[in-house]
Amino acid sequence: MEQTSRRNIDTSTIMVRIIGYGFIGLFALCCLFPFILIVSSSFSSEKAIMESGFALWPKEFSTFAYEIVFKNPRLVIGSYFVTLAITIVGTAVGLFIIAMTGYALQRQDFLYRNKISFYIYFTTLFSGGLVPFYLLMTKYLHLQDNYLAVLLPGLLSPFLIIMMKAFTKSIPHEITESAKMDGAGDFTIFLKIILPMSTPALATIGLFIALGYWNEWYNSMLFLSPNMEYRPLQLFLYNVVTSADFIRNSAAASNVPAQDIPLETMKMATAVVATGPVILFYPFVQKYFISGITIGAVKG
Amino acid sequence: MVKMKRFLVLVMVMMLTFSLVACSGSSETNSSTKTNANGDDKSKFVTITMMVLGDKPTNGQLEKVMEEVNAKLKEKANAKLELKWIEWADYMTKYNLTLASGEPVDLIITATDWLDAWGNAKKGAFMDITDLLPKYAPKTWEEVSDENWEQTKYDGKIVMIPEDSFTQWVNHGFFYRTDWAKEFGITEPIKDFETLGKYFQGIKDNKPGVIPWDSPGTNVTTAWGYTSSYSDAIELPITTGVFPIYWGKSHEDPYTVTSPVFEDIFIDYAKLMKDWADKGYWRDDVLNYKGDTRALFQAGKTGADQHHTETFSGLRTQMDAKQPGSEIDMFAWSDTRNNLISMSVTHGATAVGAHSKNPERALMVYDLIRNDEEIYKLFNYGLEGVQYEIKDGKRVRPEGYDETKHAFSSNFWGGRVDKFEIPSADKWEGISEMYAEYDKIKKPYPYGRFVFNSTPVEAEISALSQVTAQMVPAIAFGKAGDPEKAVKDFRKRLNAAGYEKVLKEIQKQMDEYKKLVEGN
Amino acid sequence: MKTEAVTVQSPTVVVKTKTKESVFKRLWKHRTLLLMCMPAIIFFAIFAYLPMPGLYLAFVNYDYSLGIFDSAFVGFDNFKFLVMTGDLWKLTFNTIAYNLAFIVLGNILQIAVAIMLNELTNKWFKKVSQTIMFLPHFISAVLVGLLAYNILSYDYGVLNSFLKMVGLDPVQTYSNPEIWPYIIVITFLWQSTGYGSIVYFAAIMGLDKSILEAAEIDGANAFQRIRYIIIPWLKPTFIILLLFSLGGVLKGNFGLFYNLVGANNTMLYPTTDIIETYVFRTLMTNFNFSLGSAVSLYQSVFGLVIVLTANWIIRKVSPENSLF
Repeated sequence: MEQTSRRNIDTSTIMVRIIGYGFIGLFALCCLFPFILIVSSSFSSEKAIMESGFALWPKEFSTFAYEIVFKNPRLVIGSYFVTLAITIVGTAVGLFIIAMTGYALQRQDFLYRNKISFYIYFTTLFSGGLVPFYLLMTKYLHLQDNYLAVLLPGLLSPFLIIMMKAFTKSIPHEITESAKMDGAGDFTIFLKIILPMSTPALATIGLFIALGYWNEWYNSMLFLSPNMEYRPLQLFLYNVVTSADFIRNSAAASNVPAQDIPLETMKMATAVVATGPVILFYPFVQKYFISGITIGAVKG
Repeated sequence: MVKMKRFLVLVMVMMLTFSLVACSGSSETNSSTKTNANGDDKSKFVTITMMVLGDKPTNGQLEKVMEEVNAKLKEKANAKLELKWIEWADYMTKYNLTLASGEPVDLIITATDWLDAWGNAKKGAFMDITDLLPKYAPKTWEEVSDENWEQTKYDGKIVMIPEDSFTQWVNHGFFYRTDWAKEFGITEPIKDFETLGKYFQGIKDNKPGVIPWDSPGTNVTTAWGYTSSYSDAIELPITTGVFPIYWGKSHEDPYTVTSPVFEDIFIDYAKLMKDWADKGYWRDDVLNYKGDTRALFQAGKTGADQHHTETFSGLRTQMDAKQPGSEIDMFAWSDTRNNLISMSVTHGATAVGAHSKNPERALMVYDLIRNDEEIYKLFNYGLEGVQYEIKDGKRVRPEGYDETKHAFSSNFWGGRVDKFEIPSADKWEGISEMYAEYDKIKKPYPYGRFVFNSTPVEAEISALSQVTAQMVPAIAFGKAGDPEKAVKDFRKRLNAAGYEKVLKEIQKQMDEYKKLVEGN
Repeated sequence: MKTEAVTVQSPTVVVKTKTKESVFKRLWKHRTLLLMCMPAIIFFAIFAYLPMPGLYLAFVNYDYSLGIFDSAFVGFDNFKFLVMTGDLWKLTFNTIAYNLAFIVLGNILQIAVAIMLNELTNKWFKKVSQTIMFLPHFISAVLVGLLAYNILSYDYGVLNSFLKMVGLDPVQTYSNPEIWPYIIVITFLWQSTGYGSIVYFAAIMGLDKSILEAAEIDGANAFQRIRYIIIPWLKPTFIILLLFSLGGVLKGNFGLFYNLVGANNTMLYPTTDIIETYVFRTLMTNFNFSLGSAVSLYQSVFGLVIVLTANWIIRKVSPENSLF
């Protein structure tokens, strides 16, 4: 195998690779740069930031901001747990429904697929707006101060359903046909044959749902009031970044006088704490992309 | 395409059905609030919700204090008070959304100047409490003068309770370092913009690394300041974006509506700000700057800070701790020519929500908070011995008090009263002198009962607000190019947005108001 | 393709010849697939269609105590403020121009990155670079604004510190409206490329590898393989993404603009003001929800027209790719 493929490499392939490594490498650097700024300033002393702004390397090294964040880890850990729970449950349930709907909608022999597709797509164009949505959630569904208020609206998105529909289209229709011949029902075909075959698609869609939940703060802001002890991580972060009072409040257990709390560096430290661990999560998803390739190869 | 049409029809039908459901739903709740007649009867234990602004304290003290407050409330009104916090991040959205949604909130903190109480009253967010007040909040009803009740009326109905027995001034100006001013040869207190300019130049020349006035770009208060410092104009309670365009002419002639923007004063102002910007009295990209400038002032990194008297009195004592040996003073806009108008009594107020299920009991609870000394102190200061102690008639922190573990605040700005206030030992002594000065020069607020009905010019007001938002910040920080041209451009755009039409409408309503006032 | 077209057509043809009662038969025949769609149908009925009548808010003078449907009807009054300042044309233009730049440049870059990633062989490099390109998506808009200020600010910005270090003149970014379209577009690309390329990357993963191998044996070079096999394979994905973004062509990315440009820097408005930021300023002085609804209705109707046109064109050109 190795030898045959090596012989096949021509100049054009080499060129594409050179361009690829160069371009991707450069772009990745650009993406890394602001993140380095965040990390560097989170480890900087407040005084250095106030006097000379951000830098790629802390001018005066200090872990004060982290000390305050972790002195009272209860709130941060609680937020983490809430976000994690919502993300896991939401992604699992949402992914299943999306995959199921996507599969049904791409079936050429399903009479209502166009109508239902439009019914779903139409919601991306028109929405009731803030007030009616708020009324629905609070007055009719009574989801105020309920984690479901964040979980439910994030379950499905028209975009992901249509994406799923497109992905499953690449699975040959004959597979469904032959399974039908064997007497399998539509749902069984989906569950036993289609689902295991579409890991790359599921990984992608699942990743998107999970990201949506992880980055969600707006619904949390609207529906989860400060009366709830633990609120999603991004709302916590949003409050830290936009409100100095909030930082002073949340740092209350750290025994640091209110006026000495390092506002700027705490924003950055909280951002690192809220984002950092997710980076570890991504390679885990990547695995499924690769396993998807092997399934494709077997199929071919 | 035919299929699509059929589908659209289907969607329409569905929407209609849902709207009917929603319709009947809303009218149902309407009737249920009105049929609540057993207000007298305290036999049923109820929970009263109060909407307050601020970030909820998370150190557990709030819960402890509320437990005490609620024990007293249960005994006296068979009710329990629950605070509904609107945190600062995005408070405008949440505050207004909560009102718009018709959630049955009982008590609502509001204000006519910074929380758009009239706008919300007009939109029907508040309940008419004219008839309920004498019966269910008798003490408050007695205490507030008829004159002040007049100022809380929208369309002839009382829609909020004013915080009118609490002395405070929110009189804006600049805070500056007198120790530095002396170094630059400015020995007299600063009383006008010219001297302030000299002070700024002194910093520029003598204090390297210090920004004369480090300000976030959102602060365009100098436009007010310059107008009050160099004219007798009085701001009208009509918001048109970041800067009010319409002002009353003067204290002698408050019923003539004018606009400083269309007078030379605004060109002078724009020129001065351009001059200051060119000399580098603030950051080059001030319009995008969002830093915590008060902290920078305390750290000696900037020479001035801009806010009101209450802030000044707090800052003064902090400054002694942060920069020992430093001295600060305040240049208030009114210092230049004594153009100082009394504060409106509705700078802080409490309203009852339009959808409140227990307005009677809500008023009882309010009456207790405001008039029961024990409850008042608990609710405003916390527990005696934990949050505060009284020493020589002053409020001090008890032994072992830890700001982070014991700090408490209920952010109640809708009915504090002087009679129960205990002065804090931390408070700057000189503040009462300042207030005494203000009391000497202040003139009565002439527009207490004037509520502008903006309905005929709604679209114009929106357009004018848009124009001010687009033009004023750049002018206020000298970033609009040639100042004369910028102001002329500003006027032109205001005219296009309906300046004249709105002016006529305000003048018309003002003439009627004049008759009302002078007829009395 | 032909056989597929027949299978699509046949049920409808059969149905038309049958009598009325067959509606139920039809439903019964598709019951499993219908049931499989049910959760989604119910979901959108509740969370999207149920609040939709609330758009009526755009035509009333909203009285909180009366509710949306009992408030006084005012016709198109709430739309008036949009035209009164004379800014509507500029705002519409800015919004559409930015969105088109986002759609065109965004998709080109995402496709390019996905294709290149696919060509790379070093697994470690692939993994690490993909993860890093993903990072910007996790930085919330507020933080992006804060970072941008700390990079671009005149006195203390990282950019100017660097320029001064190498002996160049510092630049005044925040008073120079001409360069802002570039800054905004670059920030958008920076934030969305890693995320968006995932879709294309996953689509390439779904491509049958034997086709590529066969092409290679037939003597196609790398550029030809990309040009004639991979890019056409990505076409349907691109069209779906296009139709989704076109529907929102008049809806701006509020968080990005508001946090980058700020609420007060009026100097930059000529090139950076979009409908969302304009409406936000209006709402801040007087929280009028009816105005907000009016604007969102204008945006939706505009989007609907564009999408229907685009879908109609796609249907003519390549019917199998149209959305509905």
